[in-house]
Amino acid sequence: MIYFDHAATSFPKPKEVFEAMADYFFNIGANNGRSGYRMAIKASELVFNTRELLARLFQIKDSARIIFTKNVTESLNIAINGFLEKGDQVVTTSMEHNSVMRPLRYLEQRGQIKIFTVQANREGLVDPEAFADILKKEKIKLVVVNHASNVTGSIVPLEVIAEIAHRHGSRILADAAQTAGAYPVDAASGDIDMLAFTGHKSLLGPQGTGGLYVREGIELLPLIRGGTGSNSEKEIQPDFFPDQFESGTLNVIGLAGLGAGVKYVLEKGVSNIRRQEMKLTEMFIKEAAKIEGVELFGPGGMDQRVSVVSFNISRCAPSTAAYLLDKHFDIACRSGLHCAPSAHSTIGTLPQGTVRFAFGCFNNAAEVEKGLTALAEISRKEYCKE
Amino acid sequence: MPQAVVIVFKSTHDVIKAKNELAKACIAHELIPTPKEISAECGMSLRLEEPLLSKALDLFQTAGVRYRDDLL
Repeated sequence: MIYFDHAATSFPKPKEVFEAMADYFFNIGANNGRSGYRMAIKASELVFNTRELLARLFQIKDSARIIFTKNVTESLNIAINGFLEKGDQVVTTSMEHNSVMRPLRYLEQRGQIKIFTVQANREGLVDPEAFADILKKEKIKLVVVNHASNVTGSIVPLEVIAEIAHRHGSRILADAAQTAGAYPVDAASGDIDMLAFTGHKSLLGPQGTGGLYVREGIELLPLIRGGTGSNSEKEIQPDFFPDQFESGTLNVIGLAGLGAGVKYVLEKGVSNIRRQEMKLTEMFIKEAAKIEGVELFGPGGMDQRVSVVSFNISRCAPSTAAYLLDKHFDIACRSGLHCAPSAHSTIGTLPQGTVRFAFGCFNNAAEVEKGLTALAEISRKEYCKE
Repeated sequence: MPQAVVIVFKSTHDVIKAKNELAKACIAHELIPTPKEISAECGMSLRLEEPLLSKALDLFQTAGVRYRDDLL
């Protein structure tokens, strides 16, 4: 099996991820932050260490400002619902995932907020000046941007947009689902107010892990409240990080794996991982463009994208192509709308969507070649007409 | 035998951070369940010998460890 669905989740994971989870499962087992026996201390240390590793990766000074969630969708929901109030206005882009758009539209439908959208071009790229145009005219509380699209792989210039947002008194929330671990994400020099990430994609951890960094000074309300192991004498939720946002038992086994994944990324180096993934991406794009009937989407420049590539094969529905790739060529990939309808509207691929190859740090050139051969065969075959 | 003091922290995150800071500075300490006479917290606290307290608190200040000075 050739796995090209890394934008959905990474596979395989480094063996260290499994080993860390197995070690927790067999030798630690206890909850963190509730008790003082040695097993519980080990669990608390493990959670602390994962937080510290993430802080190092994202250049965050105080790791207590990182809260753990079950995925980036939960992180975005906390940021959006916890920060926005009735009457607030938001700017976002036409390249957002439903993990951003659904919580925003929900608040909009209830008459709580107003949304302004920056339209990306056909390659999925946004012009930062388009944010400035809106921010000059409207009082915007929050700018929400997808750091890299899960459809086109296009990257937004986060630092430039953050600077524009701050110049106009707004805050910025970045969705780093497709960049954390695959592209440099620097919360400090990027001047990011809130950074949502998932653990199971390029951070190489297991599903069920994610997080949200919240800069000091941002007033945020939690989505849920409950036991935290702190301030237990009070029936009022703690008002300090990270406890305020981590009610209930944490996914400690998942965080053990996430810590090992982040450690692997730090040791290998994000820039090395990116270089390797982009080499495969460039090779794929260059050769796929030569195949008759294959239409590629997203930016042509490698510095404007991550290793996520959408394409279509003429006379072949994306779902059919993905089925054929799996059945006849043993290639796993995703087809359809990738939970981002507005991004497909932007690149002109509604309603059928696209086929998506997303390369990871464990893919190699031989696999990409097999992928290209498969596309060439499918584009020639009569069965594409179904 | 010097008297022991117990330091209570805001969050478990700070307990572990404090423990790491003390270990780095070779200051003897022990993690214990928070004694109920001090606080109804259900988490952990840190015990060390009284003469080491001021050095420990200096370290915590520098590292940004949040401890409960109201319970000292």
